[in-house]
Amino acid sequence: MSILAMDQPGRSVLMMGNEAIARGAIEAGVDFSTAYPGTPSSEILESLARVAEHFGFYAEWSINEMVALEAAAAASFSGLRAIVAMKQNGVNVCSDFLLTVNLTGTKGGLVFVVGDDPSAISSSNEQDSRNFARFADLPLLEPATFQEAKDMTRWAFELSERVGLPCMIRSVTRLSHSRGNVKLAEIPQRSRSARFEGGYVAGVFVPIKHAELHQKLEQAREEFEGSEFNWYVGPEQARFVIVTSGSGWLYSREAVAALGLDGEVGILKIGTTWPLPERFIVDHLKKVTEVLIVEEVDPFLEQNIKILLAEQAKTLGPIEVYGARSGHLPAFGDINQDKVARALADVRGLEYRTRDEQYARRAGELALTYLPPRMPTFCPGCPHRASLWAIKAALKLDGRDGFVTGDIGCYSLGVGPAGFWQLKTLHCMGAGIGLANGFGQLGQFAFDQPVVAVCGDSTFFHAAIPGLINARFNNSNVLMVVLDNGGTAMTGFQPHPGSGTDALGRPAPVVEIEAICKAIGVEVRVRDPFEVDQAIEELYDMLQDGGAKVMVFRRKCFLVESREKARPRVFVDPEKCIGDDCGCARFCSRVFNCPGIIWDQEAKKAKIDEVVCTGCGVCATLCPQGAIVVEEG
Amino acid sequence: MEAGKGPLDLEKEVLNEGLCTSCGACVEICPYIKVVKDRVAVIEPCGLAEGKCYDFCPRTPTDIAALDRRIFGQERPDSSLGSYISIEMAQARDKKIRSRAQYGGVVSALMTYAMDLGEIGAAVLTRPFDGGLMPTSVVAEESSQVLGCATSNYIASATLAGLNKVTKQRRAPIGVVCLPCQVLALRKMQASEHENGAKEVRLVIGLFCTWALSYQGFYQFLRGKLALSHIKRIDIPPPPANILVVDTEKGAMEFPLEDMRGFIKPACGICFDMTSEFADISVGMVEGMDDWNTLMIRTPEAERLIEKARQEGIIETKPLDEARLTHLREASLQKKRRAIEAIVKRTGDERNLLYLLLSEEERRKFL
Repeated sequence: MSILAMDQPGRSVLMMGNEAIARGAIEAGVDFSTAYPGTPSSEILESLARVAEHFGFYAEWSINEMVALEAAAAASFSGLRAIVAMKQNGVNVCSDFLLTVNLTGTKGGLVFVVGDDPSAISSSNEQDSRNFARFADLPLLEPATFQEAKDMTRWAFELSERVGLPCMIRSVTRLSHSRGNVKLAEIPQRSRSARFEGGYVAGVFVPIKHAELHQKLEQAREEFEGSEFNWYVGPEQARFVIVTSGSGWLYSREAVAALGLDGEVGILKIGTTWPLPERFIVDHLKKVTEVLIVEEVDPFLEQNIKILLAEQAKTLGPIEVYGARSGHLPAFGDINQDKVARALADVRGLEYRTRDEQYARRAGELALTYLPPRMPTFCPGCPHRASLWAIKAALKLDGRDGFVTGDIGCYSLGVGPAGFWQLKTLHCMGAGIGLANGFGQLGQFAFDQPVVAVCGDSTFFHAAIPGLINARFNNSNVLMVVLDNGGTAMTGFQPHPGSGTDALGRPAPVVEIEAICKAIGVEVRVRDPFEVDQAIEELYDMLQDGGAKVMVFRRKCFLVESREKARPRVFVDPEKCIGDDCGCARFCSRVFNCPGIIWDQEAKKAKIDEVVCTGCGVCATLCPQGAIVVEEG
Repeated sequence: MEAGKGPLDLEKEVLNEGLCTSCGACVEICPYIKVVKDRVAVIEPCGLAEGKCYDFCPRTPTDIAALDRRIFGQERPDSSLGSYISIEMAQARDKKIRSRAQYGGVVSALMTYAMDLGEIGAAVLTRPFDGGLMPTSVVAEESSQVLGCATSNYIASATLAGLNKVTKQRRAPIGVVCLPCQVLALRKMQASEHENGAKEVRLVIGLFCTWALSYQGFYQFLRGKLALSHIKRIDIPPPPANILVVDTEKGAMEFPLEDMRGFIKPACGICFDMTSEFADISVGMVEGMDDWNTLMIRTPEAERLIEKARQEGIIETKPLDEARLTHLREASLQKKRRAIEAIVKRTGDERNLLYLLLSEEERRKFL
């Protein structure tokens, strides 16, 4: 049985941070859940969807974060408990609604979970979404442990209902994607029925509603003052205190222990970071002269604490504050125990060495000796490799210095060698076609470079359709290439409107990309990118005529395809592969560079790594000697 | 032939200079160079310093006298028309062929005949309007397929890419119909130390050519003016008409020849060869005689084939009158002079004729 559904209160289980958040929602008796997938947040809805039928609540993958939040708000307006999850970039997408639903308020508990990605491990930025809570005047919780991830989520529903506002929870990659012990609580019987009453209108009496919003936020602050998510550990009379939130809590504990400062340095851990529990903080800083703020990405806590210290200067006296502004900790990238310990040692004038100074150098040398150099690349059998090769070839043949505007998905790797360095812009979802709209209008300024906008199938539904309509409406010279691999591959193959199943794996109506394009009135072609030469020729042809056009390169992600059917055996015929005598200069293993193709150092010929190869067979069509054989399984 | 050069040099000296004839000699011999329509590009440099691509290209330095000696066993006796055994007028006896052909149908008739005789097992030809403006390179495996490739198209197709592709799979004596630049490349391929498909070629029929149009330019010009999927024939009637006629199933349109100037491939402006001087047989039009071709026999093998064709009533020949021969020579010389003028204008150096490595004596004749 899924640990999400485990009804054994008091039992301690190992849970991923995102599972803990989902479990918290279940323990709150959630009725309605929505999300758009995005690392590091995707497993929240995945976990919920897995048990949705069991508990009888609703779960959907929405086409984007805006719709996800709006749908969840509708459930809240109808008195239900709803949760919506997204990654940090998603907050930008739904921010328009966020900054009006704060004014109308909500009814049933509405919990808004954001997974931030410090260091942008799987993102195009590393924005600190906590700023949105302050911006939108919404209560904000930051779990520091797996237990808190669950318990805060459960409590957030109650808080949301008491103050009548969406409650925001900010997780980060290191919490969402690691695992720890979580003690389970009871799962309540759900009995709510939905009914819409009254009205939720943002556009009238806005200043009054804005003032009301501030009052609600004050109410949240009062709740935060006594919150179990805020605590202090350390000596009673500590003069030096670390103030921290979220992932900083465990790093700070480790750092204090590593430096042997348990007797001198206290840690004030804040779980409710907006609005700040001011009395609670002031109470714990009365005897303090120095503070180190530890948090991930922006100096959010730091700035708010500094405001508080300024306001309380008479009570607290002068307090020295260290953190991002003082340069002791970075205001970018993720943090870790090491960085915190170094900052603490620096402030305290201590010597701190985590390990031998030569360690990093030696580790680097060893890595270079024993590990083959690897660039980020597409999976074996990935259709994007062939698609981007076809795009590169078509642009080169066209000869007018055309280029590709990129978008968000697996194919974003096309900025590098995996996609032959084709993507020349990369921003946010939908930006590829949006930018292309502009480039495609520069003809009157002597601009003659063709522009190809790429986007994935999920991105097409999420954000690219308005851009395509604009291109049609304003007759922009844009060739849009939809890299349709049948799902939201980058985040774990969640379904979307084109894939034929819903979040629970049930059959769903298919929204056809080409039908949408036809309705918009643009020329649309559909082609298998593994028919490489035809793909090149058709792209070339489409580049010759002006106006907006769409090419759908359709081929299922081979990781999924290979699970569904027998894998053909692909091998190199050693008679036909003539190695370096070919003149192909190892095209298959060096340039096309599928991880399934390797160079046999001894035989001096290409070889298929049968463990890695998915059997897609596209390499067989590209080998100039016809030396690669595909044997249907 | 210049040793030690490869794809980067090909890109620098030929492709980036707009001198590519899109003959296709460098295509289908590696995964890096592709052709679409009449555009050839190095998609990604292979990293090798030397390459067949550079070696085979008709616009990389070529020792003309050496090539003459290799093919004809002698240096050219005639500066204007190259080596030839005879020059006369000819036409296909079969009216059906003539009615489908641009002029006298000699090319279709001879290719068909060579296949029927078994002299060649396949022919690499060009299908002029393959459902669009662009001609495509096709391989005829049977003589009945040859006639489908009759008539001219003023865009060059990558015939030698087709040859390279078909010879990967099969080895058979092959016949090829080529433009002058393609003949030159094919002969360079045959002379190359590298194994390649041209070495399977037994019969080269070269066409007369003064220029070809670039697909991109011509397509943009015609697009919207007529239904490009229904083109039947493109023709340039003899002077003084000065027009280009595009005949479609929905009627014909005429364009001033002057309008075409901008779309002529730059590679054609530096072309030295109007009459396919390195072919076995060269075929062109006869001014004022729609139903006849000019036929130049250049090699003894070709002479034997044509003699047989004549005896068996495949083609009919008659002497080319002196006035027309003189005119042909003048036209050919004119093309050479203009080409060299254009080359020197590019290089700024009378001794640097780009791809043309001519003897001092030959070079002086045109300056």
